[in-house]
Amino acid sequence: MSPLPHLARLPVLILVVLVVSARTLFASPLVNPNDARTGSLMIKSETPGQYVEAPAVATDFDVTVTGPIIRTRLTQYFVNPANGWVEGLYVFPLPEDAAVDTLKMVVGERIIIGDVKERIEAKRIYEKAKSDGKKAALVEQHRPNLFTNSVANIGPGETVVVQIEFQATVRQSNGKFSFRLPTVVAPRFETPDAPQPVVSVSSEAPAAVDNKQQLPDAKPWLDPDDNDPVNPINITVHLKPGFKVAALMSPHHKIEALERDGEHRITLSKMDFADKDFELEWTAAALDVPQAKLFRERSGNEDYVLVQVTPPAAAKTTPAPAREAIFVIDNSGSMAGPSMVQAKASLIEALDRLQPGDTFNIVRFDDTLEVLFPTVVAADAGNISTAKRFVASLDAEGGTNMVPALAAALKMDTQSNPAAIRQVIFLTDGAISGEQQMFNLIAQRRGRSRIFMVGIGSAPNSFLMNRAAEMGRGTFTHIGAAEQVAERMAELTSKLTSPAVTGLAANFSARGVKATPDPLPDVYAGEPLYIYARMDELEGKVTLSGLAGSDNWLKTVDLTKAEPGSGIAKLWARREIANTEVNRTLGTLNYKQADAMILKLALDHQLVSRLTSLIAIDKTPARPEGTPLRSVDIPLNLPAGWSFEKVFGSKTPVKEASAFKAIAVASKPRVHDAQRLLALPEGSTPADLLLIIGLLISLAGAASVTASRRMAS
Amino acid sequence: MSVLARRVSLSFGLIAIILGLTLAGNGVWIKAKAVVAQVLLERAFAETVKTGVPIKAWRWADTRPVARIRSERLGDSAIVLAGGSGEAMAFGPGHLSGTPRPGQPGTAVIAAHRDTHFRFLKHLRRGDELSIERDDGMRFRFQVSGYNIVRWDTPGIDVTADGHNLVLATCWPFEAKTSGPLRYVVHAQMIE
Repeated sequence: MSPLPHLARLPVLILVVLVVSARTLFASPLVNPNDARTGSLMIKSETPGQYVEAPAVATDFDVTVTGPIIRTRLTQYFVNPANGWVEGLYVFPLPEDAAVDTLKMVVGERIIIGDVKERIEAKRIYEKAKSDGKKAALVEQHRPNLFTNSVANIGPGETVVVQIEFQATVRQSNGKFSFRLPTVVAPRFETPDAPQPVVSVSSEAPAAVDNKQQLPDAKPWLDPDDNDPVNPINITVHLKPGFKVAALMSPHHKIEALERDGEHRITLSKMDFADKDFELEWTAAALDVPQAKLFRERSGNEDYVLVQVTPPAAAKTTPAPAREAIFVIDNSGSMAGPSMVQAKASLIEALDRLQPGDTFNIVRFDDTLEVLFPTVVAADAGNISTAKRFVASLDAEGGTNMVPALAAALKMDTQSNPAAIRQVIFLTDGAISGEQQMFNLIAQRRGRSRIFMVGIGSAPNSFLMNRAAEMGRGTFTHIGAAEQVAERMAELTSKLTSPAVTGLAANFSARGVKATPDPLPDVYAGEPLYIYARMDELEGKVTLSGLAGSDNWLKTVDLTKAEPGSGIAKLWARREIANTEVNRTLGTLNYKQADAMILKLALDHQLVSRLTSLIAIDKTPARPEGTPLRSVDIPLNLPAGWSFEKVFGSKTPVKEASAFKAIAVASKPRVHDAQRLLALPEGSTPADLLLIIGLLISLAGAASVTASRRMAS
Repeated sequence: MSVLARRVSLSFGLIAIILGLTLAGNGVWIKAKAVVAQVLLERAFAETVKTGVPIKAWRWADTRPVARIRSERLGDSAIVLAGGSGEAMAFGPGHLSGTPRPGQPGTAVIAAHRDTHFRFLKHLRRGDELSIERDDGMRFRFQVSGYNIVRWDTPGIDVTADGHNLVLATCWPFEAKTSGPLRYVVHAQMIE
């Protein structure tokens, strides 16, 4: 792709960024440190009384949707308003299936293209460039949907532009197509003993953890009550769905749409801020959607193919089987505000949709858990009204300890009705870090239960939700606003009650085909099945078979009919990396084998992963020798609707800048902080000492008693 | 006069015996607690592994069993508790919070008292095998690669280090009767 069209836009965009940052930074008298509101965007420097202004980041999303494939170019503008050299560290989320493959850094007139390198090596190169005073950008993956971009040596008053490109796929459910761009990171509740995010070289020194306290990640979130939102975003979508669009909408943002030659151009009506996820939905006019679609791409010495098949909805002649529904509802502190209202409304909606003959129970959890009925009960009027009263009384408070709640829901399977479909419906914002524990539990104990994740709020942890639903052979539903509750829960219930296509298998006529996902998941009414496959030479057919209700379902697709597409190899590799992680979770691969496979996939396909990062270095030193570099975290908005007090407990006086981690000098690697923070507890008891002293005193006493006897005689 | 001296000597003696036995009793109590708790914990841990639900060993426990550590050669084993608080460590070795779980990438740190659960640490040799069974039923084997003696506040342990490491820590010197600033640290690496 030529960088030139981008360059032409650059001056305009920079102007926009400067205006916007001027708005957020300088709208009020923000330069005077004594002003109460000033502090919110300032960081204490090492010299007392001296402040550094936090850099601002503006983000521009340029999304192209071609059929089922989404290619996004994400441009981040780092603005340093201060008069010293700084390093920016921006934490940003991406869709959980995003395959990140390109990094470009624009310095003045030059464009520097980044390379994918093994994570440790990339980090080392970055640190070296940083201390040499060169401009450098490093993109790292911290969780599969959470990335950081570090930019070293941003000069006084300077703007550095970093561009990241990634690939993802369109979601399709009940005839509706959609995608979601997460724009904001929710603070996570660290469950006690949660495994740390898997990072070999950590740029986030772990906070000193007091296990009694619920500590979110030490990130600089701003209290929305005291601060104007920061980090403006701009979104442009080029939508080429391949069929005639009937309706187009964005549930959380005001958009403007223009159509020309079958391409829709969608933009935000006004500049927004990175505090809620962007969602775009479209539907097809009439029954225009093809039942099968194929795309091919040649990469290296292999052909890659994407097969998209939409099985027909099962016939509704047979009565729906009885359900055993276990609802699990999160009432932890992070749910406070609109999220809790939405979760309660969703659960009440779901209770209303239970049929006579169904059974159910409710588990609620924060850092404690409570099960409503001792065992599953019949969905009669009495039990349902008890359940509704219980739900209405829930308050959002406390930590998030999801694992025991899910364990309780899975363990509760008494097999009392073996013919019933057992469904665990889990309503949460997923604000936890110990995802791996959840996956282990699902892998080991899912049994016959299907797990349906309902993500609540403006920024649910969709990586956790999607993976948990996938492993639990259920689906993930996102409810981002109160208006969506009724509609989405109705959609979910229709899925829950209508039989899915199960036991799916794909048979390729060619040999040596590596297809993913393997095994194939259950497919629910109106949802397409995506299969990615790699083969030496594209040839032959694929035959899909499964059970739709009680009927056999068969479909044969000729692979040679595939249209050319781009990015299919990368999507295949991204899926394959995710599969490898799942296999490791299930224990079919050990860590070493899994790591080796992931590293090879990521390097072969030039993807950012847990083990690889993208790095771009400007060879010319920018920062004069001897000028210090300050390292700062970029302040983040809390997701819209979150309450600062509920999440972090008491108010942190942000004007003291205590919410910001001002990190000292560039040359000092932060891993040392981790080493310093770990202190070993006392390793001995006074037991031996007590025994010895105690026995000595007793002996002395005995001697004294003997002496008194002798005196008497 | 001699009667008074006799009385003083007798009552001093009796008080000293009571005081001494109380102190010694406390010492025995600490050891007994450590032993009895492990029996209850063993039961709770087995239940946790079976059901997947964290089970408290006794109703008022403020910690829960997370793993079992065992040295096959020495025949010693102990149930590891969550967190390195004094309360947890009275009953079993503590898995320090802020360190990864054993078997995860990075360095897991487990600490215990030299005179109770980690008495066997001084007998561990290079090349010895340690096995860990976690509450999620996962089992890992580690091999001892060495040991060192460090100050408690600068142990030089990198919790984000490469590989899957395990560190066991206790007080040093082993035979000392009072606590000091030094810790004995055993390093082990996961073997496949």
